[in-house]
Amino acid sequence: MIDQLINDLTQTAIFAIMALGLNVVWGWSGDFDLAFYGYVAIGAYMTLVLTIGPPLDPSSTYILAQKFPFPIAVLLGTLAAMVLGLIVGAIALRHLRGIYFSIVTLGAVYVLSTFASQFVPLFNGYPGLSGLVAPMADVLGIDYNSYQYFYFGLCVVLLAIVVIGLTRLSSSRFGLALRTVREDERAAAVFGRDIYRLKLKAYVIGAGLGGFAGGLFAGFLTAFNTSAWSPLETVTLYAAILVGGRGSIRGVILGVGVMVLLLQEATRYLPEVPGHADWTPAFRLMLTGIVLVLFIRFRPQGILPERRMRDGEPPGSAGAGAEAIAAPQPVAGPALDTGVA
Amino acid sequence: MHQALLTLGFGLVAAAILALSALAFTLEYAVTNVANLSHGEILTVGAYCAYVVQQHGGGVVLSGLAAAAGGGLLALAVHEGVVDRFVRRGIGGLPTFIATLGVSLVIQNVLVVIFGGGNVGYQVPQGAPHTIGPFLWNDTEIQIMVSAAVITALLYVIIQHTRFGKSLRAVSQNRSLASVSGINAHRVAALTWLLAGLIAGYAGFIYAESLGTLSPTFGFQYFLITLTAAVAGGLGRALGTLVGAIIVGIALEFFGGYLSASYNLAFAFAILSLVILVRPRGLFVGGRRSVFE
Repeated sequence: MIDQLINDLTQTAIFAIMALGLNVVWGWSGDFDLAFYGYVAIGAYMTLVLTIGPPLDPSSTYILAQKFPFPIAVLLGTLAAMVLGLIVGAIALRHLRGIYFSIVTLGAVYVLSTFASQFVPLFNGYPGLSGLVAPMADVLGIDYNSYQYFYFGLCVVLLAIVVIGLTRLSSSRFGLALRTVREDERAAAVFGRDIYRLKLKAYVIGAGLGGFAGGLFAGFLTAFNTSAWSPLETVTLYAAILVGGRGSIRGVILGVGVMVLLLQEATRYLPEVPGHADWTPAFRLMLTGIVLVLFIRFRPQGILPERRMRDGEPPGSAGAGAEAIAAPQPVAGPALDTGVA
Repeated sequence: MHQALLTLGFGLVAAAILALSALAFTLEYAVTNVANLSHGEILTVGAYCAYVVQQHGGGVVLSGLAAAAGGGLLALAVHEGVVDRFVRRGIGGLPTFIATLGVSLVIQNVLVVIFGGGNVGYQVPQGAPHTIGPFLWNDTEIQIMVSAAVITALLYVIIQHTRFGKSLRAVSQNRSLASVSGINAHRVAALTWLLAGLIAGYAGFIYAESLGTLSPTFGFQYFLITLTAAVAGGLGRALGTLVGAIIVGIALEFFGGYLSASYNLAFAFAILSLVILVRPRGLFVGGRRSVFE
């Protein structure tokens, strides 16, 4: 019971990092990115191939096959996700916005999952990778029983670091400029913002956080394959952001708590219908879809909305135009700063 | 050369299915300005309706009608229940697009609960292959192409030569202007979605016939290809979409026949990105402006 709860809390912390990454892209930059789960997958796959070493089973094949320490593998996985994000973002963000951007990213993630499942030499195709059991346990001398507490603690600490980093980023010039772009791209361009670079930067940061969370997810799941990441998984993250409050860090964490932890805990105790093991996840996804629709319709700003600056509140913010959105703290620097933060 | 012609023949079958699906999608977009991410589920529901009828001993005609009816009702329900409420409240295209993703998730999982998550077989007697000119088609394939051609022709007549078609064109050009000119835009949009649903449901049925199997996600996977065809032809433009579907359908068949069918989706995406990046308004209209919405 308590083990199960720790397990779910660990998963929630990992999903919170993912959702925060996606929030940079959708919440701050305003791009509805459907490829996001692809970055999580890349992070997970890279972490696996870099830690599990050569295949034990001769029928499975994958690239790299190294036995690196777990933290290095996760960082390299993060890097790989950022490179991929840079490529997709550079193509998709140049001229596309709105649904056209979403369509291209949806395509991108489909290509990725097609290659991951069909091109066997890459990540062993459809069966995927496995064998990353209790990373770092031997180095740190943690026994099997207390390991999941250690991993939970690790994920929470990393989540806290991400939250602190993003909070600073949120009120930095970059964070403010990004929201200006989201609110009114033309106005931001008039004030000298390099829209494409700002959006691309946000996109790569988001992809990196996705890859990072993916690496932690691989350590948590011990294995990964294509059936673990139907592109629709991204929808759960969007639902979490929407419920909590798009753009707001504490909102996103609350949203993940509701959509991942609460929903999972609530549906766990549903009486399981014999012979219908897939009903419980199906009901969970159904509920996710319904919540998504209802929130867009009735409370698009979420439970804990992003704080908006009113006219004349803190003077001298870097945001341009009357509609600028700022974080609570005023920011030093000239109001009409033309450089990109 | 002979092999190429055979592949072209199969490509025409694929194009026929794709054309119906893409036309339905473009009709939905034309009247509401919403790219319906739950479009694939209309095909899926249509196919499952046909499957149920077949399980109860119904023939091909009855299955096809059931598929169309199921798809039509679902599309109407999605329009009335979600899309129209969003459009009327002035919620923009992108949030509504996201909402239809939620709808898609709900429908897929309702189907999982009813029919199970796995594949179910959908076998129809394919009939003997006939040699027609250089092509080789069996009865089912001929039925698919003929019915698709008839439906497309009917759709053309409806859009170009009826009072309803005129209103449809007016609403798709400018909804508010159509409204102040005395057209009941809501009714036109609802009827258009019903029409699109009938077509998409039937498309799901013929796609299941040609695939021989279906699952709760089968329409969603087909959706990317549909999207490719519709965007290539220009979203919201029926004639362009038709041409786009024929090109994409045949191109995919050649790609699958000569290279590898497993990478069909990847190839479709390559076409899609290329089109969006080079001519975002579609292949057959001026592509000067880039897409900022």
